[in-house]
Amino acid sequence: MSAGERKYTNGEITVYWKPDACIHATYCFRELIEVFDPGRRPWVDMKGAPTDTIIKVVNMCPTEALAWKWNDESKNHEIGPAQTNHIKFRRPELLEDEATRETEIPVTVKIMVDGPIVIKGTFELTYKGNKKVITDSLVSICRCGASDIQPYCDGQHRKTGFTG
Amino acid sequence: MEENKDTESKVKVEIEDMGPVKITGKFILKDLQRGTETSPGEVLLCTCRRTLTPPFCDRSHEKKA
Repeated sequence: MSAGERKYTNGEITVYWKPDACIHATYCFRELIEVFDPGRRPWVDMKGAPTDTIIKVVNMCPTEALAWKWNDESKNHEIGPAQTNHIKFRRPELLEDEATRETEIPVTVKIMVDGPIVIKGTFELTYKGNKKVITDSLVSICRCGASDIQPYCDGQHRKTGFTG
Repeated sequence: MEENKDTESKVKVEIEDMGPVKITGKFILKDLQRGTETSPGEVLLCTCRRTLTPPFCDRSHEKKA
């Protein structure tokens, strides 16, 4: 495991967390605050929801910041292409074709209700003069001004009662 | 000509320190709060919650609190 990496289990599955890979898409806590709460320590509570619900939300993670495995290793070989996140983690060879394909996906900018700006697609991101290219992925930009991880959203808008 | 077209459509997101998010290029802006969908080509989005015209910046951040 790399520095800062954590794992959490409920006995049935293990959820792996790699903070360095997180791009603050915020799907995890927007979908399942009962399990993924950035304001709590530890921030993942595996007792907060049933296993199938946790799997569904971990699969939404666009990076490998969150991934999961069955604790029963034999079940990990039964996975299919629909379980994208799980495949990236367990069977990277199945994604090779998709990863190299030429994509022409339009960039979308979503203003979330009382929440962040979610920018999805391939674009150039410049913050304080530092430029980086986001490829076929997404970022969530804080709109309430209260995030501790500027310019990204860390869910503070829920606590500060942001509207707008 | 093709190169110019590519440069224009390429999406750039620029975030000022303590300022708005500027987005330029070919993108779709979906405002889920107000139920609108547009392709503005360029926008300045507020990140300080002080704007009177959300989600857009109205330069309120330049005024003293």
